Amino acid sequence: MNDLELFPYPKHRLQATDLDLAASLKGLVEKQIMDKRLELKEDYEQLLKPSLGKLMVEIGLQRMFWPEKLGGEEHNEPGAAYTVVAALEQVGRADIGLAFQAAHSLALQAALALEANYMEQQCAAISPLFCEGTQPLIVSFILPAFAEEEGVPEWRGKGLQVKARRSGDTWELNGAKVRPTCSGADADLFGVWCAVEGENEPAFILVPGDVPGLTRGEEFLKTGLAASRNADLGFASVKVPASACAWRGDEGLYRLLSWYYLGLAAAASGALLATYEIIKEWGDNRVIKGRGQIFKENPLTGALMGEIAKDIAVVRLLAYNLAEILAEPGAYGDAGSLAVFTSALIIVHQAYVAAENTIHHTMELMASAGYAKEWQLERYWRDVKTVQCYLGAYELAKHDFARWFYGTKTL
Amino acid sequence: MRTIDDFTRPLEYISPMCDLLGSIFREWTEKEVIPYRRRFDEDYLEHHLIHPPFKKLLGEYGIQRMLFPEDLGGWGLGTSNYLYVAAYCMFEEIARADSGMAMAFGVVFWPLLFISLEPHVNRRLLEEFAPMFCGTNEVTFAALCMTEPQGGSDIENVEIVKGTTIQTTAVQDGDEWVINGHKLWPTNTGGLARLMAVVCTTNPGSDDPRDIAVIYVKDDMPGVTQGPPYDKAGMAADMNGDVWYENVRVPLWYRAIGPGDDAKYFGEIMSTGNMGIIAWISGTMMNIYERVSEYVNRKKYRGKPLKENDAVAGLLADFATHIEAIRIIGYQCARMCDRHDLYGPLWDPGLVAKMRAQRYFTVDRFIDITGRVMNLMEAYGADRDWDVEKHWRDVKMLQMVEGSKQLCQIEVARWFYEAETY
Ligand SMILES: Cc1cc2nc3c(=O)[nH]c(=O)nc-3n(C[C@H](O)[C@H](O)[C@H](O)COP(=O)(O)OP(=O)(O)OC[C@H]3O[C@@H](n4cnc5c(N)ncnc54)[C@H](O)[C@@H]3O)c2cc1C
Repeated sequence: MNDLELFPYPKHRLQATDLDLAASLKGLVEKQIMDKRLELKEDYEQLLKPSLGKLMVEIGLQRMFWPEKLGGEEHNEPGAAYTVVAALEQVGRADIGLAFQAAHSLALQAALALEANYMEQQCAAISPLFCEGTQPLIVSFILPAFAEEEGVPEWRGKGLQVKARRSGDTWELNGAKVRPTCSGADADLFGVWCAVEGENEPAFILVPGDVPGLTRGEEFLKTGLAASRNADLGFASVKVPASACAWRGDEGLYRLLSWYYLGLAAAASGALLATYEIIKEWGDNRVIKGRGQIFKENPLTGALMGEIAKDIAVVRLLAYNLAEILAEPGAYGDAGSLAVFTSALIIVHQAYVAAENTIHHTMELMASAGYAKEWQLERYWRDVKTVQCYLGAYELAKHDFARWFYGTKTL
Repeated sequence: MRTIDDFTRPLEYISPMCDLLGSIFREWTEKEVIPYRRRFDEDYLEHHLIHPPFKKLLGEYGIQRMLFPEDLGGWGLGTSNYLYVAAYCMFEEIARADSGMAMAFGVVFWPLLFISLEPHVNRRLLEEFAPMFCGTNEVTFAALCMTEPQGGSDIENVEIVKGTTIQTTAVQDGDEWVINGHKLWPTNTGGLARLMAVVCTTNPGSDDPRDIAVIYVKDDMPGVTQGPPYDKAGMAADMNGDVWYENVRVPLWYRAIGPGDDAKYFGEIMSTGNMGIIAWISGTMMNIYERVSEYVNRKKYRGKPLKENDAVAGLLADFATHIEAIRIIGYQCARMCDRHDLYGPLWDPGLVAKMRAQRYFTVDRFIDITGRVMNLMEAYGADRDWDVEKHWRDVKMLQMVEGSKQLCQIEVARWFYEAETY
């Protein structure tokens, strides 16, 4: 049995094509990324960018949801949630940053092209960017963040970073020091959750990366996710056509985020599977106590290894559980419902809290080897933590949980 | 506005010297380290940015002389009973800027403890090495080389493993030791170390403590090779690498104390090292407090400063509470290291176990609470410009140096429950 199969997942729910995709991704990332990273480390140009191209264009993750008539694979039924997990688990196992980027793309595809909520006009307008190019199309989101100024319009207590004004057939967007969720330095398409002047309901507006008035700051240094070269943005009277507004109101955003969190939960599961492989090798070979005691046979370290395996198993099940929730809207509700969004938020936070903890423990067991870049473990630790930060404050997400489960109104 | 100086310190035993040193170090970090530290990670190979502040502090200010007797040009702190509380103040201040730097600083003195502390002051070796530390304005880095490829913890696990795993050998040949072996990871290596205390065995596989030897080696002796610095998750200011010893010949009297005593006093290294780790944690937390305070004042949630949300306030309170508690623990450990008359000798297994207990407790607390406040800062928590992520990366290593957490647990269980732990 393949070691990764030791961790249970609902295999019977996956289509043969999902299993094939996962198998070919496994082979690809091992050859393209894992075999090369000792030498290339986290080099963007030489390792990460070409790998993104392979995943998004050659394997075709960026065509997955779009209709066939527009050049896509039309895998846009809710069951695609399983495909997302099967695929991004493998990508996350090699590099969470790449899975993070793919999660953005897949979430946007799902939000626009899922069969039940198919947005014809938007799909026709933007799917060519995904389906016709030979380069990966990097997608990024601009979501609410803590504001620094007074009077910034809010969504759920946080400031909307960009303001939009509709005049005739165009939207005009303005915002300074805007922090995107990923790839500010490179993204080709931004999905911006904007405050709309004079109205309460925000708008989700799609902004191409090369539109006049959109400026990018210097790439800034951060803990991890080297595949996502992030930079702050400026929007100075950025104009896009009226049709660039994909939706108004929370439902669309919930749907987008539910699918986004699915991709991120899968990436966490993948990272943990990689962690397992690393600690397994260590536990099989390291000798402690000077009497030839194999590491995994020591009661104390063996117990911690057991705990690590338990947490990996749980995160994997959680990620697949979220896939099940999204795959069965009849049973659980639509991805755009508050109920499903809350479940997705719970699962993704739990996955990252557990992933951080699990990798902490794994590092502990590997001591200096866990801290050395050579052993590859520490990059998962930095990447997982970075995703967790970008997910938003857990302390405040708890209010989202309370709002749903207790009917809390004012938090 | 509250500052880091509002956190409690045990004023009963903080001497004016601590405050003086503290203010010198504070000024040094503000001017020489904090403005540059965000670029330290990329400087791990060359130390272009990291070296100048070390040179100023250790060489030009002369802090590297601290342990040497006054008549040899030092400050005579080695035989004082306020060394560790003073060290705590210094360590905290440096770690506020950079805990890797604090570690590298602390390790300059660590190998010298074998020859500077009562009752085993080795005057001849102090005289031998004094010119390297006291007769120069250049920085002299020292290293304590214990860890080997097969494992570091068990070399430090002297009580149980008794040196049986040590593979670096010292063979007597006339009036010289001939040293052969391979060490990994010592702080201040990677080409920096001028002086190394090397933990060797004089009889491979032996479980007789008399065969554990600590022998000094200078980097310019034939047969010593330092490999390039490792690339690691953090702590760029602490350079680590491989060190190979190939038929390195040193005088017999370069052995630190002597058969049986090298092993016995090894406990001092553990006690003081663990105390240092707590100081680096509390110092780091001071700076996280400063940076997070700025963040929660600047950033708004529901139209008010973030800190005004009670859920956020609860987490901030947890962080401040951790600092209060960890700092008191840390100073108490320093005091316990200073006052042998009250707490017993530094090498005593009970003291070692207590220091290990306090250290792993505080690192675990740090990791948990800092991870939570880093996440509170959302995307900016992972942003180098906000410094918290650097501290989070750096301090993780403090859980794993000097024997990882499990070794701490085992030693604590051994002492408090009289478990055999064989
Ligand atoms: C930044 C940095 C600075 C360092 N500075 C120095 C230095 O100055 N000098 C130096 O010599 N080394 C130094 N080291 C190495 C460090 O001290 C060792 O990494 C540490 O002692 C652990 O050893 P190891 O990495 O070989 O892991 P191991 O000792 O192999 O430990 C691996 C795991 O096994 C567990 N384990 C080991 N033995 C036992 C046991 N008997 N019972 C139960 N569990 C056990 C450990 O807890 C750990 O979880 C440094 C390392 C780093 C990263």
